[in-house]
Amino acid sequence: MLGSLCRAEPHWAYQPVKDPECPPITQSEWAREELDRFILAPMEKRGFQPTQPADKRTLAKRAYLDLHGLPPSPEQIEEFVNDPRPDAWQQLIDALLESPRYGERWGRHWLDVARYADTNGMDEDIAYPSAWRYRDYVIDSFNKDKPFNTFIIEQLAGDLLSSENLSRKREQTSGLGFLSVGPKMLACDDPDKMRRDIVDEQLDTMGRAFLGMTIGCARCHDHKIDPISIQEYYGLAGIFMSTKTLTKYTVVADVHEHDLTADDVRQGWAKVKELERQQGQKDLNKEEQERQGRELAALKEKLPSPYLVMGPTEYPTQNVKVHLRGDYQTLGEEVPRGVPAAWTGGAAVAMPEKQSGRLELARWIASPDNPLTARVIVNRIWRWHFGRGLVPTPDNFGGLGEKPTHPELLDHLARRFVEAGWSMKAMHRLLMNSATYRQSSHAPQVLLDDDPENQLFARWKRRRLEAEAVRDGILMKSGRLDLTMGGSLLKARDNRYADRSHLEAHSLVPRRTVYLPVYRSTGYDGLKAFDVSDPAVSEGDRRTSTVASQALFLMNSQLIHESSGALAQKIMAVPQDRRASWAIRHVLGRETTSDEEQRTTLFVNTYGDTEQAWAAFARVLFSSNEFLYLE
Amino acid sequence: MLVRSGTGFGALALQAMLAREARGASQPPPLPGTAKRVIFLFMHGGPSTVDLFDPKPLLTRDNGKPYPLEAPRIQSHKSKNLLLQSPWSCQPHGESGAQVCELLPHLASIVDDLCFVRSMHCSNSRHGGALLELHTGSDTFVRPSMGSWINYGLGSENDNLPGFITINPTNGHGGAGAWSPAFLPAEHGGTRIEGTGGSFKIPFIDNPLKDRAKQRKELDLLASFNRDHLNDRAYDHDLESRIASYELAFKMQMEVPGVQDISQEPDHIKKLYGADAGPTKSFGEQCLMARRFSEAGVRFVQASHRYWDSHGNLTKDHERLCQEMDQPVAGLITDLKQRGLLDETLVLWGGEFGRTPTAQGKDGRDHNPHGFTMFMAGGGIKPGTVYGSTDDYGYYATEKKVHFHDLHATILHLLGIDHEELTYHYAGRDFRLTDVEGRVVKGILA
Repeated sequence: MLGSLCRAEPHWAYQPVKDPECPPITQSEWAREELDRFILAPMEKRGFQPTQPADKRTLAKRAYLDLHGLPPSPEQIEEFVNDPRPDAWQQLIDALLESPRYGERWGRHWLDVARYADTNGMDEDIAYPSAWRYRDYVIDSFNKDKPFNTFIIEQLAGDLLSSENLSRKREQTSGLGFLSVGPKMLACDDPDKMRRDIVDEQLDTMGRAFLGMTIGCARCHDHKIDPISIQEYYGLAGIFMSTKTLTKYTVVADVHEHDLTADDVRQGWAKVKELERQQGQKDLNKEEQERQGRELAALKEKLPSPYLVMGPTEYPTQNVKVHLRGDYQTLGEEVPRGVPAAWTGGAAVAMPEKQSGRLELARWIASPDNPLTARVIVNRIWRWHFGRGLVPTPDNFGGLGEKPTHPELLDHLARRFVEAGWSMKAMHRLLMNSATYRQSSHAPQVLLDDDPENQLFARWKRRRLEAEAVRDGILMKSGRLDLTMGGSLLKARDNRYADRSHLEAHSLVPRRTVYLPVYRSTGYDGLKAFDVSDPAVSEGDRRTSTVASQALFLMNSQLIHESSGALAQKIMAVPQDRRASWAIRHVLGRETTSDEEQRTTLFVNTYGDTEQAWAAFARVLFSSNEFLYLE
Repeated sequence: MLVRSGTGFGALALQAMLAREARGASQPPPLPGTAKRVIFLFMHGGPSTVDLFDPKPLLTRDNGKPYPLEAPRIQSHKSKNLLLQSPWSCQPHGESGAQVCELLPHLASIVDDLCFVRSMHCSNSRHGGALLELHTGSDTFVRPSMGSWINYGLGSENDNLPGFITINPTNGHGGAGAWSPAFLPAEHGGTRIEGTGGSFKIPFIDNPLKDRAKQRKELDLLASFNRDHLNDRAYDHDLESRIASYELAFKMQMEVPGVQDISQEPDHIKKLYGADAGPTKSFGEQCLMARRFSEAGVRFVQASHRYWDSHGNLTKDHERLCQEMDQPVAGLITDLKQRGLLDETLVLWGGEFGRTPTAQGKDGRDHNPHGFTMFMAGGGIKPGTVYGSTDDYGYYATEKKVHFHDLHATILHLLGIDHEELTYHYAGRDFRLTDVEGRVVKGILA
């Protein structure tokens, strides 16, 4: 199908990944990793120098915030600053990668791409009661450093993999939440349109997430820029039309769930059902009824809930006809299910007769021969570390996306990634160990003026923390953060619709933000102010705005007032003359200047009530640029 | 570049502009617009406009008989398609002679200010789909809402207020999609204010300590810390902007409560809207607040009234709903006119669809996206107009059909924006509110 597209020069992203030689550089002593040479070469060419390394205190904060999304304690900072070992930095990174806080932070990045939500949103805001298992699966996969190729396959076809035991089966199947958590038009009077729209949303998200491709365009016409024809689009659509996402395609139907309840539990529930049936039938005296009721209640008490996992399942296989101009009522030729040639190096992929073909598709996406997949994920990892991708449009590698600033480095990293067994943690170690990562943000003015966007990566570009890190950091520093992992706080009404009346209460739960249920139809005002991603669309490049609603949140929200009150109590427990320095060290992780000390004392003395004054001071620290920026 | 006095809710002008340019947005060239602001009165659920504004004598004659033309392929509920006569009568009013139902005496008294489009139609027969179509142009994909597009295209007239406010919006049936910026920069999204009576609030606008002097001290100390931090670094626009954002927030805190405080209005104005008492109080207050926001420079204000979905109990429910809505809407238009604001304010009234001329049960009508009425006033619309028509029974729009895309194109035109030029580059292509559709309905322009 590639041939159907006229193109003078083949687009870089669809060419095989090369293994470029490291470019020659002058200051070879600067480079700590090979990747640094790729960064330094264009810098030298333009006559720039790398910025000096950041000091250890700054690096400690950077590593904690970057890998955990939580600020370090003063003790943690001192421990690193005073660690004399030559590999202290590597030791710190290793330790941080071992903590479950890592998966909560980096899993959340992936959940942006997976447009994760606990409810449908769109037209009918149905609760997805088992969506949280997918969220927990993502966090767990990051924590255990699941190879990214396995992670892909499980998310597209986890139900079709063989599993050695039930626990593995549950894990693999949970990945399928990726396909099911999207927004759907559930109240569509035309079941045919409903199904096709769901398939289209799945294809579009899959394309953006794994391949950086906007394949949705080919629903109506051959992609004008990228190598996917309308026939290939419907070849893919056939795979997903042979897959069932809803239990049935009627108005406001349920999303399909896999029942992976253990056999003994399942038998237990069958017994409960049987007893309930008998009880309803028999004409028993009151005493006997009560006795049986107690027995039933005791039985139920002991039984774990059925284990349900949200995710699609197989459907009778079918090929679909091309929809002319995207209209499903104007059909063209039938196309066999298949994988676009651009992803397989032109090889035709045989589709199984009795299976949808999702597994074959997933394997081709997760293949080292796919020119896009490894490039796309290493670019995402780079983007989440540095705030800007080597390809500045991480969700679009196509002809309409931006070109990589360092194409050879991208290939170099993609190679290393696959060589290291698609390990995310190995890539973190590689990137964070580089001299590039360790640069300071205190760059010379001429560099700031000439490269405001930091395209050269000749410095660390200071950036505001994400919504979650702001909220989690405030909770942590006020001693309120509850580190319980997993599970669901979602509330649904009896009619399956999301119960949004709990939103405000949820927003005050002192758990990590990643565990707050995501209501796609609405959202948390405080998080939205700080540019939390919109779960309606896959998003790998969150914006960072500066708007007054962020200031209002930090000045007036209940969360900040509860937290600043809690921190004030801690401050009050410190001897009077050391309060300011204790608070600054506790929140900002550094010593206080005498000038700050004086201003704070004056502020507290003239404020009125002492504890309230310290609460106000706590808000000043939480609202300060020093607290809110990753430096 | 459009001439703008601001760029959105507390966004700092320069930064937002830079961000916009970096993201490849295209600004339309300025056209001579007549409207500066829009107030959209959304009738959630789908009012039965065949009863309210588009009377059909044949419905009375053929009551109970099958609809003689072909019924739509897709219907919300299975139907025998038997015609149902209107429980009420319509009369011509004003110089224009526009027909208005007896349930709407206040609107009837101002028909010469109104422009009725009787040939509206859309594609989706369900609330969620049609609602998203009306608000965003798409019932298939996640797209920015029209308020966000307008806010993005024109910016706010008042830096201390959001450019797009939605009062008591519909949380189901599309929910945030109706006021979402989708891929447009976040500050162009709608600010939702919910509540009843005087308790409507912009999120976090109230300081819980209620002590402005103390908060001022707190912000002064914060500013001094932030200044020190900035002085240690080379100039950083982001850090500078954030320092300014606290000052802006402090000013907003002072300005916003005053704007939304309808208790400041004199009694005769409250009475005009029915915001003083009775069944009109709730929506009257919303309409009055909408005027106050609009007057203060908010580009797009939406107020929602619900729930018009009369599958059964049409007679009783529509009588109540009309009573709640009639005086507030007429009051708003009258008030804008007497303040000299109607010429620059486009008022739009309508639901996500209308209702079928056929019966559902004995006293109900189903959803009808195929032909229904919306009306407009002010903002460069030709007053005293009835435009387009439906078939003899009021099922399908037939003459001079106006799709939601055409409505959007026309609203943008009235604001001085060419709908084909207002684009945003996202995911590899330029998007428009009107997608690849939309034409300006010239016949309703003044």
